Amino acid sequence: MRKLTLHYLGRAGFALAVLVLLLWSLGPVYWAVLTSFTDPRDMLSEHLSLWPQHPTLEHFAKLFGASSASQGNEVQSVWPQFSRAFVNSLVTSAAATLVTLAAAAFGGYAFVRLRFPGRDLLFGLVVASMAVPAYTVMIPLYRLMISLHLIDTYLGVTLIYVSAFLPLALWLMRSVYQSLPVALEEAAWLDGAGRTYTLVRIVLPLAAPGLIATAILTFLSAWGQFMVPLVFSPSLATKSLTVLIPEFVTRNYVDYGLMNAAGVVAMLPPVLLVIFLNRFLVRGLIAGATK
Amino acid sequence: MNLASIRQRLRPVAGETWLGLAYVLPIILVMASLVFVPLVTTVIDSLYRIDPMRPGTPFIGVLNYKNLAADSNVQHATWNTLVYVVLAVLLETAGGLAAALLLNKVRRGRQWLLAVLVLPWCLPPVVNALVWLWIYNPSYGLLNNLLKAVGLLDNNVVWFNDHNTALLLVALVHVWRMLPLTAIILLAALQAIPADLYEAAKLDGAGRIKCFRMITLPLIAGGLAIALSQSTVFAFNLFDEAWILNGSSLDTRSLIIQVYMSAFQNLKFSYGMALSVLAMIASLVVSLVYVLKVYRETRFD
Repeated sequence: MRKLTLHYLGRAGFALAVLVLLLWSLGPVYWAVLTSFTDPRDMLSEHLSLWPQHPTLEHFAKLFGASSASQGNEVQSVWPQFSRAFVNSLVTSAAATLVTLAAAAFGGYAFVRLRFPGRDLLFGLVVASMAVPAYTVMIPLYRLMISLHLIDTYLGVTLIYVSAFLPLALWLMRSVYQSLPVALEEAAWLDGAGRTYTLVRIVLPLAAPGLIATAILTFLSAWGQFMVPLVFSPSLATKSLTVLIPEFVTRNYVDYGLMNAAGVVAMLPPVLLVIFLNRFLVRGLIAGATK
Repeated sequence: MNLASIRQRLRPVAGETWLGLAYVLPIILVMASLVFVPLVTTVIDSLYRIDPMRPGTPFIGVLNYKNLAADSNVQHATWNTLVYVVLAVLLETAGGLAAALLLNKVRRGRQWLLAVLVLPWCLPPVVNALVWLWIYNPSYGLLNNLLKAVGLLDNNVVWFNDHNTALLLVALVHVWRMLPLTAIILLAALQAIPADLYEAAKLDGAGRIKCFRMITLPLIAGGLAIALSQSTVFAFNLFDEAWILNGSSLDTRSLIIQVYMSAFQNLKFSYGMALSVLAMIASLVVSLVYVLKVYRETRFD
């Protein structure tokens, strides 16, 4: 009898722990989504409500609308800025992901399968640079980018992202190649296939899960970057969402509805990645953190 | 074809060296020009006075470093950063270990619970901080309303008025984002423990707590050391959360915010560089020290 009670207590404790985890992780995200659909007047109420009393699309209309009204007054629409920043974030993150992935796919392979002088030294240096915080190189980079006229250009921001995220990508891809059997490649070489042909046609398809994991991690890092665009993207030409959205706050009054709506839109790409590519993401995280 | 001739064909071909170099050339170019040269430049330039507002760049030796030691803003920022590191490491390790132990027990739907767990880590840190800024709002925020609803609070509190509360709240947002990483690392370590170890211990009459102390803890020590050093380095580099939640306020200013302010707002380039060099060394040393310590203390002979 006592054992049975203990069993149920254990089950209840377990369920409670799962609930706490769900609340901790999803609670703030739910609150942001809820706020983005909440009527502005309800937002100012002292009364706590955990679901929208009068759901409204007002904040999203303000975000996506050509013209915009705020507290009864016609105000300038934020859509031109918002759409531009969204495109900027997408372009720089996608470009950084593609370049990083290509460099890591070929470079990682060279570090595992090809012999050339200085190989281990180079790999050691690149991996060690993961321990160099971005801000330590920020000031010389800033002066370099000014002299190259790359401030506020897609190329400049993308290159900085690549240099920041390449070491982890290289680390991941190397461990992926190390786990692949060399026999297949040897068979291809014996049949007279060149090294590059073998890598592209035989090895890369096998390494696809690792490539996807690396791509997700790189994209997420770039999408969430704040300090790099804060310094290197002073105008709307390349300004990212992460820099634009906080600017909604620092105006005369804070439009929390608009801010949360914009935040929810910025959360969408990562949320979609987590939902659809979760398997690859977790595997990549584990590989990146442990090996 | 005999084995010898296969070996012959698999020996490094003449072009291999060049092919290897060609594959890594983009890496060499990017890393050298955007990381290694700037890093060396930072160290060297920190010994000069580089200030766009003043003419010339004279060599001043360690003057920047001396001035840093006497700068009360730097002292504030250093103290705040230490508090962030301690809070983040404690909370992330405790919470991450709890989450990892829980997930290790889950049988059905683990994939989805994992997805929920990693979500905060995947979101842009700035957006996280904005969401929490709204939660912490003194007049209409969720935190005040929630505490009033359960009767823990009578009147609204302006959370960021108090220096210590402000530090805790900034650290909490950082922990919310970084805890998944610790949890995932520890979960991977937990799953690598062979189940028969626990069965053997049970046969020997060991209880749950004893099992945890004698088996789990020593066997996840490696993962724990990695998780601890990751938490430390990320907390040392805390910028986004403090900047969004409280701007440049001295109450919550971290070392990195101080670097940013020195270099890009006060335009004292080399002064900022000197501080960034110190911050980098400190972050590396701290994480190294207790990677070694954890290894030594939890090692099983």
